[in-house]
Amino acid sequence: MSKKLYEIISKVMNIPISSIDDSMGPENIENWTSFNGYVLLHELETGFDVKFTINEAMDVTTIIDIKKHLKNKGISFD
Amino acid sequence: MNSEKTLSYFINKSNELVGKSFPKKIKIALLSSFTINGLKEIIQVKSSELNISASVYESPYNQYSQEILNKNSSFYKFKPDIVFLIIDSRTIFDELYHFPFSKSIQQKKIFIDEKILELKNLINYFVSNSDATMVLSNLNVPSSSSYGISESKLEYNLSEMIQEFNTKLISNYKKSEKIEILNFNSFISKFGEENIFDPRQYFFGDIRISMIFLPCFGQELMKFIVSFLGLTKKCLVLDLDNTLWGGIVGEDGFNGIKLGPEPPGNAFLEFQKTLLSLNQQGIILAINSKNNFEDGIQIIREHPYMILKENNFSSIRINWHDKVSNIKEIAKDLNIGLDSFVFLDDDKVNREFVKSVLPEVYVPELPDDPSLYSKFLLNMIEFSHLKITEEDKQRAKMYTQQKMRSELQNSTPDLKAFLKKLNLKIIIKKVDAFSLPRVSQLILKTNQFNLTTKRYKESEISTMMTDPNFFVGYVNVEDKFGDNGITGVFIIKKESKLIWNIDTLLLSCRVMGRDIEKGIFIYIVNKAKKENVKQIKSQFIPTQKNKPIEDFLPNSNFKKQDDHWIYMIKSILPYPDYLDLEI
Repeated sequence: MSKKLYEIISKVMNIPISSIDDSMGPENIENWTSFNGYVLLHELETGFDVKFTINEAMDVTTIIDIKKHLKNKGISFD
Repeated sequence: MNSEKTLSYFINKSNELVGKSFPKKIKIALLSSFTINGLKEIIQVKSSELNISASVYESPYNQYSQEILNKNSSFYKFKPDIVFLIIDSRTIFDELYHFPFSKSIQQKKIFIDEKILELKNLINYFVSNSDATMVLSNLNVPSSSSYGISESKLEYNLSEMIQEFNTKLISNYKKSEKIEILNFNSFISKFGEENIFDPRQYFFGDIRISMIFLPCFGQELMKFIVSFLGLTKKCLVLDLDNTLWGGIVGEDGFNGIKLGPEPPGNAFLEFQKTLLSLNQQGIILAINSKNNFEDGIQIIREHPYMILKENNFSSIRINWHDKVSNIKEIAKDLNIGLDSFVFLDDDKVNREFVKSVLPEVYVPELPDDPSLYSKFLLNMIEFSHLKITEEDKQRAKMYTQQKMRSELQNSTPDLKAFLKKLNLKIIIKKVDAFSLPRVSQLILKTNQFNLTTKRYKESEISTMMTDPNFFVGYVNVEDKFGDNGITGVFIIKKESKLIWNIDTLLLSCRVMGRDIEKGIFIYIVNKAKKENVKQIKSQFIPTQKNKPIEDFLPNSNFKKQDDHWIYMIKSILPYPDYLDLEI
C-alpha cells in the first residue's frame, strides 16, 4: 500500500515518487500548501475508501501521520 | 451521480497547459465568499478542451466586496471579460442563517431589502468601472433547519426569506445586459446538498462546494463561457433507429418500434420532448439515418407518438449513404459550418467514423441506456445560450423556408432572375436596445460572411451606439417565403468628416448569395455622400472561414492601398432592381 500512498502524494504535490520520504510534510514539500493538504486528504479518502475526521485531518504534519491514521483504519503498509 | 474527473486530475492537467495557447481567448475573474481553490484549474482545463485559452483571476479569500469597491484593485487591473461572483446563504444571512426567528417579520423584511440594496450598490459600482459581464449566483435554500419539521409552518422562515431574496435579485437583473444569473440553488438541488456540502471540508477550510463536486460546478460555469464566446452549436444531427425511437424500423416495422407511453418507449418520448424544446429555442434539427426513406419518413409522418414532426427537421437524409457524406450534404443544405454541428447516434462505429473523418463535428458519447438520453442532452454545455432572441425562436421555421428557396433557385437557372422572383426586401435601421441582443449574437457568432471578424461584447456595442463617431446598423431581410429577421450588421467608424471606415460588415449564412451586401454597401455610400464624406475605407481580415467575403471589397470597386481598401465616393448609387430597400 506504500506504493499507492506515494503515487497519490506524488500526483497531488506534483513531485517524483523517488523524492518522497516518510518524514516529509508541508515544511519540506513546496507544493504542500494548506489547500493541497485538503486535496491530498480528499484523494486519500477516495483512493483508500476511508474517511478522515476533522481531528485526524488537523493532526497531519508528515507522511508518517498519514500512515498512522490509515493504519488505524485497517490499511496495512507492511 | 457524478461522472466528472477528480480535482487532482484538473490540477495536474492545468500544469501541462503552461505555455500552450488556443485560438479563442478569455479572461475570467472568480470572486467568492468562500474557498473555491481548484476552480481556476478546472476552468482552464475544461476551456482548453474547447480550444479556449482561459486566463483566470481568483480574488483573495472572501474579499469580493473589497475587490469590487476598489477601483485600483488587482481585480480591475486584470481587465476580465467575464466575472463570476459566487456568494452563498451562510454569508448573506450570517446569524439569521442559524437563528431565523431572532428577529420580527418586519425586521427580517428590512434585512432582506438592505442586503439586496448592498448587493445592488456593489454591482452598480462594478458596472460603472468595468466592461465585463458579471455572472451572479443566487442563494441556496438549505434543505434542513434547526427548527426541524416545525419550520415550514412558521411564518417567514429561512427558506421563505432566501426565496424572497432570490426573487428580488433576479427581478433586478432580468433585463440587464451585463449581469447574468447563475442558479446556484438549482446546482445544489441537482447534485444534492448532502453531496455538495461536506462539513469536514467546510470546518477545515471553509470549502462549501466539496472537492468531489467542484468539477461539476466548473461545468456549470462553462455554460456561461461557451455562450459568452458565441460557441453555442447551431445544429443537432440525429440518427433515427435506437436514437429517436427504440428498435429498428426496417426489421421491427411501423408497429414494432418502441415509442409511446410504455417503457422503454417513454424514454424516447421524453428525449423527443427535450429535442423539441431545443428546437423551439433555435437549435436546428436534422436527420441522418441509414434506412429506406419510406420506412423512416412514414414513422415521422404517421406514428401517433412522434413528438417531432417533419417540419421540425430542416434537413432530412434517410438513405443508405454513409453518415459522413450525409452530414456534408446537410451542412451544404443549411449553409452552416461543420463546427456548428453536433451528431447524436447510438452506434459507436458511426460515431467513430464521423469523429475521425469530420473532426470539426462534435460527436458526444451518447449513453447506452436510452432512459439517460434526455438528461444527457440537458447537461450538454454546447447548447447553452445566455439569451434567446426572437430570431432564435423563429429559426426552425426560417430554415424550412430556406428549403423552399433552394427549390426555387434550383428551378431558376439565372441568379438575377431568381433574386427577382424572391421579392427581396431589406430593411436597414440603426441598432436600438431591442435589436442589440441579436446584433451582439451575430457579431459573436458569424464566421463565413464576416469582413473583419471583430468580436465585440454587447456592452461595447452599446457604447458605440451612443458614440457620435460610430454608426451601428442592422439589416432585416424579407422575401416572399417569409421574414429572415435580423441577419446583417455593419459598424461604421467615422474617422473624420471626410473618411468613414467600415469596421464591421457581416451577414448571417441564412441570407448569403442574395446580394444583400450590395444593398448595404450602396446604403453606406449614399449615406456618406449625403454627409459630404469623400472616402470609405475598410479591411478584409482573412480567417480560416471567411473566404465567402474575400472578393467583396474589390468587387465593390475598392482599391487596395497598403493594408486598407479605399473607395472614393463620386455619386449616389442606384439600388439593383431586385432589391427593395426600406430605411
